[in-house]
Amino acid sequence: MTTLQREDTEKFAYRVRRHIVETVIKYGEGHAGPSLSCTDILAVLYCDVMRYDPMNPQWKSRDRLLLSGGHKCLALYGTLAEAGFFDKSVLSEYNKLNSHVPAHPDMKKLPGIDFSTGSLGHGLPLACGMALAAKMAGLDYHVFVVMGDGEHGEGTVWESASLAAAKKLDNIVAILDRNCLQINGTTFTVHDTALLEDRYSAFGWEVRIADGHNVDELKQTLSAPPIPGKPTMVICNTIKSKGMPFAENKVAYHHWHPDAEEGDKALAALEIYANERWGK
Amino acid sequence: MSPFKEKYPNRYLEVGICEQTGVDVAAGLAVNDYIPIISAIAPFISMRAYEQIRNDVGYSQTNVKVIGSSSGLSHSPAGSSHQANEDIALMRTVPNMVILNPGDGYEVEHSLRASVDYVGPVYIRMPRHATSDVLPSDSRSFALGRGEVILTGKDLVVSSGTVTGATKEALEMLRGEGIKLALLNMTTVAPLDEETLLAMAADARQVFTVEEHSTIGGLGDAVASCLTGYMASAPKVTKLGIPPGAINTGPYHELLDYYGLSSTRIAESIRRVLRA
Repeated sequence: MTTLQREDTEKFAYRVRRHIVETVIKYGEGHAGPSLSCTDILAVLYCDVMRYDPMNPQWKSRDRLLLSGGHKCLALYGTLAEAGFFDKSVLSEYNKLNSHVPAHPDMKKLPGIDFSTGSLGHGLPLACGMALAAKMAGLDYHVFVVMGDGEHGEGTVWESASLAAAKKLDNIVAILDRNCLQINGTTFTVHDTALLEDRYSAFGWEVRIADGHNVDELKQTLSAPPIPGKPTMVICNTIKSKGMPFAENKVAYHHWHPDAEEGDKALAALEIYANERWGK
Repeated sequence: MSPFKEKYPNRYLEVGICEQTGVDVAAGLAVNDYIPIISAIAPFISMRAYEQIRNDVGYSQTNVKVIGSSSGLSHSPAGSSHQANEDIALMRTVPNMVILNPGDGYEVEHSLRASVDYVGPVYIRMPRHATSDVLPSDSRSFALGRGEVILTGKDLVVSSGTVTGATKEALEMLRGEGIKLALLNMTTVAPLDEETLLAMAADARQVFTVEEHSTIGGLGDAVASCLTGYMASAPKVTKLGIPPGAINTGPYHELLDYYGLSSTRIAESIRRVLRA
C-alpha cells in the first residue's frame, strides 16, 4: 500500500467515524462503541479489498458484505455513503419513522445492504448460502462477513462454521471484530472467546490475525488469497469506541447516550486526530 | 428426497441437523437467484428456526420454500416432541408467508408445483402418511390461494389438509341421515380465500372447521376472524382440532380418533352441535 493509498483509506475511515459520532449526537443515542471498533475494517474492505459498483448494487459478480452484528450499522451506513451507494444526507434520517437507515440494516430499505441483519448469529449461515450460490453458479465473488466476539455465544455461528468447512467454502472471509467487550461485560467472562483461534482451526478454517486498526495490515490480510478448500477467519483485534479516547475499551459506551459535554468532547477528539495526522 | 438426490445430485444440498442454519443457507441462495426448497421435520423447522424464517424469509421476502414434513400428529409414535400442532399458527404470523396444507397426493403435487412457480416465501405443511385422494384428480381444481368446493349445502364445514378426506366421509354419513352440509377445502391457509368462504357462509347458521392442528391460531381462527370481520351477523363457528396443550401420543389413526378427527368422530361432533 502506498502512502497515498493509506492516507486515502485512513481519511475514509475518519469520515465514517465522524458520521457515526455526529449521528449518535444528533439522534441522542446509538451503538457508537461497536460501530467505531469495526470502522477501519469496513473502510479497508470498501477502499482496498472488495469488488463492487455503487451504481449497480445488485451486480451479480460483486463481493458480498454481511454485517452480522447489525447493531454496528452506523459504521456500515457511513461506509456505504462514503463509497457512493447513496447520498450522505440519508444519514440524517437515522432511526426516524420510515427511515432508510433504521437501527439495524435492512436490505429492503437501502442500496448496498446485501442482507438484513439484527438478530445475532445470522451472518455466517447466510454467508454459507451466498458462498454456495457462487460455487454453484461458477461466480468468483467473495462473501465477507463481519462478526463480533460476543456473538460467538450463538449456536448458529458454530453450526455454520462447521458447515462452511465441510462444504469447502474458501470464498468466505469471516472477520472477527474482537473488541473483547459485549453489552454487559468482557467477552472473556461471559464466554471464553480467548480460544477462538484454536476453535476455528479445529473446525477446519484458515485463521489469520490482524490489528483491526492498522489499514496496511488489514489490507494485506483481508486480500490475501485463501487456502484452497478452506474458509478464512481473520481475527481483528480492535478497540471498542476507537477514536473517542475517553470511551475506548469501556463497556458503558456499547450503546452511547451522549450529553452535550461528551458530544463536544468526541467531536474535539476527532478534530485533534485529523489535525495531528494531516494538518488543517 | 432420495430419488431427487439421485436424479439431480448437483441440486441437492445436505446441511445436516441444523434447521436454523439451513433456513439461512436457503435465504442466502435465494437472494442469488436460486429457488431453494428446504425440508425438515415440521416441529423443528417451524419452531427451532422460527426466527430465521421470520427475519430472513418473511420480512426479507426471500424466495424460499420451507417444507415441514411429518406434520400434525403424523409423527406421534416418536413422541410429543415430534408433533407439529402449532406450526400453522406460527407461520400465519410470518409476514408475506403463503401457507399450503396439502392432504392427499393430488394436493401435495400441486402445492409443490405452485410453490415453485410462485415468487415469495411459502410454507408447505406435508403429511407423513399417504392418504387416498379426496376426489378423482380429474374433478379437482387446485389453485394457489383458492378454496375448493367439495360439497354444497347450507351450513358449512371448512377443512384443510389430511383431515379433508375424513371430513368428506363424515359429511356423506350425515347426508344419509338427512343432514346436508357444504364442504370447502382450504389447501391454502394463508392467504385465506375469503371471497369463497364469505360466499359459502352467507346463508349458514353454523360453520365448522376441521384441521389436524391446535384449535389456537390455525385454520379455525383464520376462518372465524374472517367471518366476524366481514359479516354483520356471522354464523357460529365450532373449531374441531387438537386442544391446546395436548401431548398424547400413540398410533397415528388411533390418535386422530382420540382427538375427534376420524370420520365417525367428526360426524358425532357435527351432529351434537346441530342438535343442541
